Amino acid sequence: MVGIATDEEMRELEAAMAQYPAVAAQVEACRRSMEAYVIMQGIDPQPDIKASLFSQINNEPNLQEGLPVPDKDLQQPKVVSMQETKSLSWKWIAAAAAVLLVGSLVLNYVFFNRYKEFREYKDKYQSLLVSQNSILSKSNLYKTRLEQMQESMEIIQDPKVLKVPMPGTKAFPEALATVFWNPSSQQVYLKVNKLPEPTADKQYQLWAIVDGKPVDMGVFEMGDTASLLQKMKVTGKAQMFAITLEKKGGALAPTMEQMYVAGKIPG
Amino acid sequence: MEYAPTYTEDELVQGLKARDQKVFSYLYDQYSPALYGVIVKVLNDNTSAGDVLQEVFLKIWRHLDKYDPEKGRLFTWMLNIARNTAIDILRSKSHKLEQKIQNIVDDVHAVNGSLAVHPSTDYIGFSRILEKLTKEQRTLIDLAYYKGCTQEEISRVLEIPLGTVKTRMRNAISQLRNIINK
Repeated sequence: MVGIATDEEMRELEAAMAQYPAVAAQVEACRRSMEAYVIMQGIDPQPDIKASLFSQINNEPNLQEGLPVPDKDLQQPKVVSMQETKSLSWKWIAAAAAVLLVGSLVLNYVFFNRYKEFREYKDKYQSLLVSQNSILSKSNLYKTRLEQMQESMEIIQDPKVLKVPMPGTKAFPEALATVFWNPSSQQVYLKVNKLPEPTADKQYQLWAIVDGKPVDMGVFEMGDTASLLQKMKVTGKAQMFAITLEKKGGALAPTMEQMYVAGKIPG
Repeated sequence: MEYAPTYTEDELVQGLKARDQKVFSYLYDQYSPALYGVIVKVLNDNTSAGDVLQEVFLKIWRHLDKYDPEKGRLFTWMLNIARNTAIDILRSKSHKLEQKIQNIVDDVHAVNGSLAVHPSTDYIGFSRILEKLTKEQRTLIDLAYYKGCTQEEISRVLEIPLGTVKTRMRNAISQLRNIINK
């Protein structure tokens, strides 16, 4: 009922009309009653008004240029138009929510992919760090080995150094070792060519035979160390070198039965 | 209280949108008494009412493309234009509220004044309505409908509590419906 309800009542009415068709029918019935009431109070206008109206219509050059009328005057029943704006704003909110949801899903996807990428890079970076460390330590190892080899080469190539090959004895024909001796500096080096690995409680011991007597030149390590020249004790005189297998730490006198190799100084 | 139509509502709307002056003439003949009655009741002044009626029909003719049948009947739309136009003019004349009220209160039983009632109107039916509605019920309906008064304004001027205005308004409308539907 236009004009007979307050704004608040209109809002309540609109809500009810939207929900219940029966309410909408009641409102329409009220509107028709009101219109019937108005029609019954109709008054005939003066006849010249119609003539004046039609002459004005016919003299209008362009109907589109009619004076603008305040929209309020042309408003259709408020109840219906308000309903429309209501459902319209609801649609807008729903559309906005849908857009936001889709946007958030897209962002989730993008960021998750980036995170996965980042995680891959992190793994790669860590494995690179590890391999770099291992390369570095290997390179240090090679450097040390190289230095040792150079040292060995220098000793072997020194013209003052005598090379004393020590072939295996009758008991151990397979064994072989070599002594490099510099008589002027008295320095003695040993290279193990082939000796069986001893048990944990035993160690090989190098002897120099000086004027028929064995002189201790020290025990030495086997394993990786044996592949290099090992620096032994010094001696200024020697006619012969030999290696026996002794108890760990070495013995005061060589055990003759356990002599693996022996070799005379050439010349 | 329906006018015997020679056009259906659809035909009316189509004809008017096609700028058919014969249809517009028919529309004028059918509805000008009702719209004129509303304008006269709102303004309580039949000297300017003719000009306003002409203005209202010009608005209808010019703005028919704005009418949407989905939103209500053509007559409802036209009635709103007439009522809103007249109430705007009433407000622009800055009549005092009390003056407006007095006009209505005085006018209630003065239907047979200087103005001739439209002959096609069922006058007997209208008298029946006048009998069955109390003076107060007519005053409430007329203030709200013809003067565009809010219920707060009616409460203030008639010095009746707002709740009472609402109750009596509801009863008046329901009484009107019962009479019309008989």
